Formats: sequence, structure tokens, C-alpha cells
Amino acid sequence: MDFANLAAQLNAGTILPEGIVITTLMVVLVGDLIVGRSASRWLPYAAIAGLLSATAALYFQWDNVSPISFLGAFNSDDLSIVFRGIIALSAAVTILMSIRYVEQSGTALAEFIAILLSATLGGMFLSGANELVMIFISLETLSISSYLLTGYTKRDPRSNEAALKYLLIGASSTAVFLYGVSLLYGLSGGKTQLDAIAAGIANNSAGQSLGLVIALVFAIAGIAFKISAAPFHQWTPDVYEGSPTPVVAFLSVGSKAAGFALAIRLLTTAFPLVTEEWRFVFTALAVLSMVLGNVVALAQSSMKRMLAYSSIAQAGFIMIGLIAGTDAGYASMVFYLLVYLFMNLGGFICVILFSLRTGTDQISEYSGLYQKDPLLTLCLSICLLSLGGIPPLAGFFGKIYLFWAGWQAEQYGLVLLGLITTVISIYYYIRVVRMMVVKEPQEMSAAVKNYPEISWNLPGMRPLQVGLVLTLVATSLAGILSNPLFTLANNSIVRTPMLQPAVVSREVGQ
Amino acid sequence: MDVGIDLEGSFIQSVTDLGVPAGAAKAIWMPLPMILMLIGATVGVLVTTWLERKISAAAQQRIGPEYMGPFGLLVPVADGLKLVFKEDVVPAKADPLLFTLGPILVVIPVFLSYLIVPFGQNLAIANVGTGVFLWIALSSVQPIGLLMSGYASNNKYSLLGGLRAAAQSISYEIPLALAVLAIAMMSNSLSTIDIVEQQSEYGLLGWNVWRQPIGFIIFWIAALAECERLPFDLPEAEEELVAGYQTEYAGMKFGLFYLGSYVNLVLSALLVAVLYLGGWSLPIPISMVAGWLGVSETSPWLEIIDASLGITMTILKAYFLVFLAILLRWTVPRVRIDQLLDLGWKFLLPVALVNLLLTAALKLAFPIAFGG
Amino acid sequence: MNLATGVQVVSFGILAVMMIGAALGVVLLSNIVYSAFLLGGVFVSIAGMYLLLNADFVAAAQVLIYVGAVNVLILFAIMLVNKRQDFIPLPRAWVRQVLTAVVSLGLFILLSTMVLATPWSFSTGPAAGDNSIVLIGQHFFSDFLLPFELASILLLIAMVGAIILARREFLPEQTLATELEQPVLTLPERPRQLVSVASDRNSSLDKVERQK
Repeated sequence: MDFANLAAQLNAGTILPEGIVITTLMVVLVGDLIVGRSASRWLPYAAIAGLLSATAALYFQWDNVSPISFLGAFNSDDLSIVFRGIIALSAAVTILMSIRYVEQSGTALAEFIAILLSATLGGMFLSGANELVMIFISLETLSISSYLLTGYTKRDPRSNEAALKYLLIGASSTAVFLYGVSLLYGLSGGKTQLDAIAAGIANNSAGQSLGLVIALVFAIAGIAFKISAAPFHQWTPDVYEGSPTPVVAFLSVGSKAAGFALAIRLLTTAFPLVTEEWRFVFTALAVLSMVLGNVVALAQSSMKRMLAYSSIAQAGFIMIGLIAGTDAGYASMVFYLLVYLFMNLGGFICVILFSLRTGTDQISEYSGLYQKDPLLTLCLSICLLSLGGIPPLAGFFGKIYLFWAGWQAEQYGLVLLGLITTVISIYYYIRVVRMMVVKEPQEMSAAVKNYPEISWNLPGMRPLQVGLVLTLVATSLAGILSNPLFTLANNSIVRTPMLQPAVVSREVGQ
Repeated sequence: MDVGIDLEGSFIQSVTDLGVPAGAAKAIWMPLPMILMLIGATVGVLVTTWLERKISAAAQQRIGPEYMGPFGLLVPVADGLKLVFKEDVVPAKADPLLFTLGPILVVIPVFLSYLIVPFGQNLAIANVGTGVFLWIALSSVQPIGLLMSGYASNNKYSLLGGLRAAAQSISYEIPLALAVLAIAMMSNSLSTIDIVEQQSEYGLLGWNVWRQPIGFIIFWIAALAECERLPFDLPEAEEELVAGYQTEYAGMKFGLFYLGSYVNLVLSALLVAVLYLGGWSLPIPISMVAGWLGVSETSPWLEIIDASLGITMTILKAYFLVFLAILLRWTVPRVRIDQLLDLGWKFLLPVALVNLLLTAALKLAFPIAFGG
Repeated sequence: MNLATGVQVVSFGILAVMMIGAALGVVLLSNIVYSAFLLGGVFVSIAGMYLLLNADFVAAAQVLIYVGAVNVLILFAIMLVNKRQDFIPLPRAWVRQVLTAVVSLGLFILLSTMVLATPWSFSTGPAAGDNSIVLIGQHFFSDFLLPFELASILLLIAMVGAIILARREFLPEQTLATELEQPVLTLPERPRQLVSVASDRNSSLDKVERQK
């Protein structure tokens, strides 16, 4: 195989968006090295520009005729494009909210952005990874960058604690995942590409063997850790509470989206023989996540911890779409993740802004905020209500679509449980809103009483404001004008060849 | 290329002729070269210690040992005997198991590395495909033994010495491996025999040292650091650490360290000779000489002369390098630990990387001269 | 069974016993330094297994990376922080130990049943043998090109992250205030502890005399 022939076979154009992210990463690292500390004035904007142009490049790759590249290592189908877009956008918004936060915490901004970009890169590659080695390396790129980000404010003991917990639990979950994946390699006779694995296992008539089931369970354990589904969620509250808030925002959206992309691709492509089994395991995970996340969130007094449990619960809702296993199910997952991107990141921007101004994130300290900062109150209320699923906000339509898809796929119990837990979740979201809006002036908390003068002119505040307004507009409009997003989600599923046989077999089976 | 003499084949042949089955004949043959190599390495150490005394003395305008045997040749033997009969002391609060295991772990990989040193076309214990890479891997085991003995001695100087040794060995392994990689790239093989053969075509002019001058210097510096020779003998710097990880050792356990360090020095010199100075090949190719004299290349006596000349050449080159190392010991002051690490990470590593890139570029540009 | 297979079986047995014994030692011994050294033993036995499988390059790489780098770093970390402090025995520790043993044993039984019951599919390709380096290289530059290149980004960012975590942050405002009384080398984040003078080390002095 000579060089020109090989280069033609690689089809390297499909990773152009990732190439842009890598270039941005290098620009950030080298630019900081050459220019010095003063580079932090333009670096974040360069990074955002890079991420946005990566998203634009993704747009031009829509409906690629030959999505398989690198001799089968990477699959740039429409599903992966949507997920890569979600991850890149979440990283861009995360950078917007992190500029002020990182500077105020007294750490270097350039390295923070560099690590965040590499986490984004890992997530983007993970969404399209079509081969075991590629899955593992991109998963590790995402995980190791996440550990580093979690412990980034190293003088803060809580951040250290969070990083250590995340690292230890993450390392063991990776080991379990790797064990499961290595079983796949053995069962299929030394194949690493996902479709070849499925074919190899079918050829070898190992379809119902114990080995395949154990491989499935172990792989799901690794994925469930990434999407923080109960009972693999123990790290979530501590990590969310301790690590820098922008990192939490990225973990709750970008990292989670990458985990779901991996789940869809790995389960539908490599485990078609045990579809019933993985649906069953995921049903258990979804039930546990919805119940546990929503019930425990009721008792939280810290805003970040509450959002941690709420993100566990949201993962449970999204899993309903995965369990449904129909076109509508997958499309509803994508749609909900798109909506979740804006509402959750908006919520975190508000939390960051509040803690930057008051230095606390206790829920009780939010009382009476309406009197001092109406914009922040409005944005936080909209985002929380949307997370809870109040019409006519974006989250409502997302949830309706998920539940509808689940109902169509005859997952009645799961949908009913989803409805009940949604009602529970509305309670704790509304509690915060009521705290901010309804309280009389004399009931104002001490933090709000000493609320500083609102000024957007401080360095790094302007991007925060931009992010705030952007997510606010997106969250409120995506509900009413949800049609484009809806079409996008549907098209991405219908045009992904990988998902079609799975859907067909499901419908035949019924 | 002629095959040279096939000792193994003829030995097995002669034993089989005595009526022994072929498998057993092979089994009888197998330990022989290893034992020979062990003895050779030990004798090499004795010679090296004597050389070290004599050359050091000459460098300092002294006479050196002269009463024990002619020119003091028996001094190393006396040293060895003393170490063997000395009482073997284990300090009271030391960890006896690790204390004993440490020196053994230091010595074994060094002797194992002799597996890959070739003295002629068929005169190597094993022509393994991984070749030099095996040596690099084995030499990376050594720091574990050093750390072990440093820790087990229960002495702060020992522990510091062990930690320094490990740090030094890890830091210099990388430039060393990169220099070897450039050589491997040029010879398209990791096997030491292939590497020598690829240099032996044009005599002196074909040696790798001309094509890899930067790599040669990097390799030599890194090898000296791996052997903990002055100017890099930080782990046992007398003025700072008493004797580093060896502080608590006496008797034969100390002897093992002593032996290990000199075997390692000779081994490194041999490998420099093999990788950069053409190994067993003569400065003027023997086939050329045979052509001048009108002798057939395959005549048996020429082959015997060829083989013995090859062994002599390898050893001569190696001892020339040992001589250089001893001279360096008395001409260069010891570096500080931070200077040592700076040199390794901030100078040798980038230079070695550039050297590797340069070699790759030259290989693409001039495939004839750089191994196609 | 001829000589070669006999040697193979015997060496497999020795390596397996070594590996399992060392691995049990890593887990069960209470002295963390022993555990670290035994971990090196596990790695070496795995390298031996690779040799038995005719993968000599992988074996050498295993020794170089796991024994020569990873294990040495683990030992480094232990020796730099180890205070030789014994754990205070927890009350009812045996309950946890019994529980852990039961869970681990159950997992072990499950996995060994799985290994025995599953119809494994064997690779049909020819064994690489001496050609393995070339084959590995070809894979790195064809079908595993993307993960190979991504690994370089992963390593780069891991290095950047390690430096961030390890570097000393000199805070300008603090050093300005305390510049007068503090020497230059004092760390802002970790105040120096007073080193107590060791008194039980005088016995080592008489061993100093030693020929070089």
C-alpha cells in the first residue's frame, strides 16, 4: 500500500472539525507560551472562534456520502455530527462563563482553556469512534482532561478532593469498561471494528453466551459512569460541589452527551444480539436514576449539589429514548440533549454569576434576589423552570417528545414513572424560583443584602453577560420555535445508516 | 556476505557424531556460550579495574599499583578475594530481604544484556529481533534494584542515593533510546548483528559515527550517566552522600554493586562500539585485504583469522572507550543534581529529537547513504 | 511432548504461580513498599507470558514501560511521601475484609465460569513471530492511525496537566509582603517543616571507609 493510495483511503476530510479544534488547542498553548500572561485577553475569544468554526465545519459535513474514514476507525455519520456539535457548542459556552471565574480564582486561563479544548476533542472523537481502540483512546482523552479540570483550582481543598474522587472512581470504571471491551475482542476472534465485532460474534454463534452478557454489563458500567446514571453516580455530587463551576457545566452537558453518543453507537452496533438484555439493564438504570436523582435533590441545600442530582435525574429521562429504541426514541434523545445544552448551561451561568458576586451557592442565600438583580433572577427562573418541564419553555417540549416516544414503544411503566418524578422535580426547581421572587424585602438573605453594584464592565464580565442572554433567549425560544431543532434531530437519526437496521429489527420483533 | 564460522553447527555436529540425539546436543550447547560470556564479562571487569587504577595514576602523575604481580596485575584479584571473604553485615534496622535482593536485581539485568552483544557474524548468544531494544528494556529494570537497596538500608544517604539513581536513569534513558532509534532507522533493524553488517561495507568510512555524530555524542553522554560514571556519579557522590545507596553494604553484596557498575561500563562501551564504531569490522574490510593478497575469502584459515580479528577489534574498540571514560573521570568536574536533570531534559532530549527528525529527513532525501 | 513444549508448559506454570502470588501480595500485604515491589514482579511475569506467546517486542515494551517507568514512578512517589506510619486498626475491620473477600471470590468464580463456558473465537491469521515489529508499525500507520495520533494529544495534555498540578505558583502580592524575612526558596503553598536531627544514624559512620 503506497502513500498516495493510503492517503486516499483515509478519507481524512471527515475529521476537519476536530482538526480545527486541535489547531485551536495548539494556538492557545503556543500563543500563551510566546506572548505570556497578557495573552489571556484574546485567547478565550480565539478558542471560541475555533469552536464555532468547528461547528460550522460540522454543518458543511452534513449528509456526507462516505462517512467512514481512517479505514473504519471513525464514522462521521449525521448522528455523530449532531453530538459533536452539541459538545463543541457546550465547550464554547463553557469558555464564555469561565473567563471571569478562572481569573477570580487566581489560576492561569490559557491552560484551563487548553485542557477544556482537549476534553472537547476527546468527546467529539468519542461521538464518532467506530472501533474499540479509538473508543478507548478518545474516552481517556475526555476523562483525563476532566480529571485535570476538576482539580484545576489546586489551592482549594474541595477541588482536590473532587479531583481525587473522580480520578479513583473514573480509573476503576475505565478498567471495568476495558475488561468488557477486551472480552468483545476475544469473542469476535480479534476484531476491533464495531460492525466486524457484531458479525464475528454472530459467526461464532456466541450470541447468547455468558461472555457476551458480561462484556455487555461491564461496558454499560463504563458508560453509566460517564453519563452519571444511578447506581454509578456516587462521584457526581462531590465532584459537582468541589470542582470549579464552569467545569461542572461542561461535565453535565458535554461529557454526558459524549457518553450518550458512545452508548447509542456501541450498543446498537456491537450488541445487536443481546438487545433485550441491554434494554433491560438500561431500564433498571433509568428507574434508579429518575427516582434517586429527583428524590435526593429535594433535600439539598447547596445549589451545585442540587443541580448534580438534577443532572442524574435528567440522564434518567434521556435514557427513556434509548430504551425505546425507535427512530422517535433516538431523535427525542438528540432533541432533549440540544435543549438541555442551553437550559443547563444557562442555569450554571447564573450560579457562577451569583457566586462571583456573593461568594456562596447555598439555596437559602438566593432569597429576595429579585429586588437586586432582576436579569439574573429571570434567567435562572427560566432555566430552572425549563429543566422542570414547565410549558411553554424548551424543556417541556423535550420531555413531551421523550415521553411520547417511550409511550409509542410501549414503555408504559417507565413513562408513568417519568411523569411522576417530573412532578417531584418541579417542586425543587420551583422552590428556588419562589425563594428568589416571592420573598419580601425584609426576608432577604445576608448575601443578597450585601449584593454588590451590578457592573458589566469588569474584565471577563461581558462574555458572561453574552452567555447569559444567549442561553436565556435560546431556552425561551427553543420551546416555541422548536421546529428547526426537531427536524435536525429527526434527520440526524433517519439519515444514519447504523441505526436503521436496529430500528427495523425492533419493529419486526413487535 | 559470507556466513563466517558456524560454531554451534559444528559443535552439534560433532556431539551428534558421538551418538547423542540432536535435541540433547543442542541442550548441551546452549549453556556453553552463556558461561563463556559470564567468565568473559567478569575477566573484563578485572581488567577494567586494573586499567582504572593505572590510568587514574597516570592522569595524576603517580605510578599506581606495582608490587602485586607484574605492573600490579593481581590487584583486582586481591580486591575480589577480599570482598568475598569479608563479613557480610546487614544493619540492625534494615530490611534484610530487600537488602539482599537489591544488589541481585542490579546485577542480573546487566549480565542478561550481554545476550545481544555480537563479536562476529555468528558470535552472539542470541540474534533476537528486538536487539538493542531488549538492552534498553533490561537496563530500565536496574533502578528498581537501586531504589530497593536504598530503601532497605534504612539510611537517609542510601535513600537519597537510590532516588537520585532512579531519577537519573529514567531521565537519561529517553535520549539514549532516541539516539538508538535513529540508528535503527538507518539500519532498518533493531538486531545488533544487522546494525554492524550495515556499517561494515566500506571499512572505516562506513561506520555510523560519521553519519550520526550528534547521536554518537548523545549516546555516549547518556551511557555515562546510565553507568553513573563521573561526571554523573551523583547517586554515590562521596562529598554529599557518603556512598549513596552503597553506604550500608559490605562484603559480597557491595561486591555485586561494584561488579555491576563495571560490567555496565564495559557493556556500554561494547554497545557504542557496535552501534557507532562498526562492531567487529576492521577499519579496512577484510575482503578487500583478501582480494589484494589473492586469497579466497572462504578458505578456512582466513575465516578463523577473520573471527579472531573481529573479537579483537570489538574488544579493542570497547577498551578505547573505557579509556576515554576514565580520562573523562579525571578531567571533568561533577555536575550538580539540577544541572544533571537540566542537561538531560532540556538539552539532550530536544537535541535527540532533532537528530531523529534530521535522520528521517536525510533518509528520505538520500536513501543510498542513509539506509534507504 | 518434546523438549520445547515441556519447557513451555513448565515456564507457563512458573510464570502463572509467580504472577498470581505477586498479585495477591500486592493486595494483601500491609507494607505499601512491598506491594509496590511485588507489582513489579507482576509486570515482569506478564512480560514472561508475552514471551511465551512469541511476542518478544511487546514483552520488551512491557518491561520498559511498566517495570522501568510506571513501577519506578510508583516507588518514587511512595518513597518521597512514606512516613512509615502504621494504620490504626479499624474496629470491626474483619467484617469488611470478609465482605470484600466474598465479593471478590464471587466475581472470580463468575469470571472463571465465563472463561470456561464461552465459545471463544480464535484468530485465524498467521502468528507474527519475528515480523511483529513490522506488523505493529504497519497497523499504526494504517487502520490504527487515528488512535495513534490522538494518543499524542492525550499525552501532551496529560503532561501539561501534570506540570500545572506540580508547579509552584509564586504569588506576587504575597512574596512582596514577606520578601524581607523569607529566603528565596520558600514555597508559598507548603511551609517548611522543621527537620528533627536524627540521632540513631551514628552507627553508619564506621562503614564509610571503603575502597573505590
